Amino acid sequence: MNRSKSLGVALASVLLGGGALALAGFALASATPHQAALNCVPSQSAPNTCNLNLSTFPDSMAGEQGKDGGVHPDWVSYSNDNLVVPANTTVNVTIDQYDSGGSLNNAFFDQVMGTVGGTATIDGKTVSSVDPTNVGHTFTLRGIPGSGKTMFVSVPLPADSNTQSVNIGQGQYTKPVVVQFSFKTGAKGVYEWNCEFPCGSTREGQFGEAMSAYGYMSGTLTVN
Amino acid sequence: MSTSTNKQSLKGMLWTWAALTVIGVIIGLYAPAWIMPKSMSNNMHLTILTMVVFTVAAAPVAAGVYATALFALTRWTHKGNDVPSAGPAVRENAMVVTTWLVVSTLLTVFLLIWGLGALAVDNGSTGKNPLVVDVTGQQWVWSFSYPGTHVSSPDLYLPLNREVEFRVTALDVTHGFWIANMGVQVDANVGTITTIHTTPDKLGTFDIRCTQFCGLNHAFMVTEGHVLTAQQFTSWLASQPQRA
Repeated sequence: MNRSKSLGVALASVLLGGGALALAGFALASATPHQAALNCVPSQSAPNTCNLNLSTFPDSMAGEQGKDGGVHPDWVSYSNDNLVVPANTTVNVTIDQYDSGGSLNNAFFDQVMGTVGGTATIDGKTVSSVDPTNVGHTFTLRGIPGSGKTMFVSVPLPADSNTQSVNIGQGQYTKPVVVQFSFKTGAKGVYEWNCEFPCGSTREGQFGEAMSAYGYMSGTLTVN
Repeated sequence: MSTSTNKQSLKGMLWTWAALTVIGVIIGLYAPAWIMPKSMSNNMHLTILTMVVFTVAAAPVAAGVYATALFALTRWTHKGNDVPSAGPAVRENAMVVTTWLVVSTLLTVFLLIWGLGALAVDNGSTGKNPLVVDVTGQQWVWSFSYPGTHVSSPDLYLPLNREVEFRVTALDVTHGFWIANMGVQVDANVGTITTIHTTPDKLGTFDIRCTQFCGLNHAFMVTEGHVLTAQQFTSWLASQPQRA
């Protein structure tokens, strides 16, 4: 093989290899592990306002994981991980919290932050913080600084200590704690949210499993 | 290859080396400040200066390697199937060996002394009434609290021209506390408080990122920091809700 031919083969190999890597990257990036979108429902009574209803469960039997709770029926879960809301809108969120709880590992998250008025209502009572030793989960949402998508909302969801039973889907739970709050959306973009109460397992700090997988205690909020 | 051809090659290589060195020095002088994040603290000034000094010091060495490689690839090639006769071994040339050893030793010792000095300055505290900020990393949020004030925040606020002492820790896995604009980067370890200092000297906004891959949303573990005037900082502290 002469020199120019060798050079051509080497160059083609590098280009082909690079192309294959780029294709694999694009395929991985576009593969979404998220559930079907849960769209914020426009309010009939207030302009530029919509309502979003979520739940948190001690397992995955009643959410979007499918029949029999999906792959990990025993993992704690939010009812949906793929939230879609309009830009520049007030989002009224209602979360039915069906899970028990314990102490936060960081009392910082006992505060209600980034909501309208800096408060939330828990079973109808307005609060700006909760007991850090009695938290079930948190709903903590953030944007990406420098991208024009700054947003930080964090609301603690107290542990459910009710005893009255209710059935939802294939799961049996106790009557939930109802947490309500509102926040305003800004620029379009994809934001990330997750729970900051250590409710996973296997890894240090109990942030493994359900805490580290979309579809359980983490998800996205798409503002469009 | 004849002696005159060798001398010509050597002369050409020296000119090439000199030209590449000049290019390297120019890159060293201007590229770090252009490529690196905008400096907002004394640490970052020192980091950029260190990059400039190291790049300039490395320029003649890199130029030597490139010049030699260039000539080896273009001039010192052998055509034909016969085995070329070996030239005199470089290891027997006392001047080359001595120059090589002395220059590389001096260069290495200089870099070592500069590096250790810069590290000592970088990690040191002036001890002049530093503002203490407790930094906590957990998947996947940074939180900041200001001891003695009962204030905590998801964003970092700092006063201008006052030394800051960051006390950095983590609650779950190892995170990396990194303020690129301030030349501050330290691991946040579980059960350990690591201290690092800086003095912000420019007003503005900066990003704080995690530099240790820490799980699912590591890429989103970014938060915003602000350098305010002393008066603005005091007002901000006063406006924050006080935790019990």
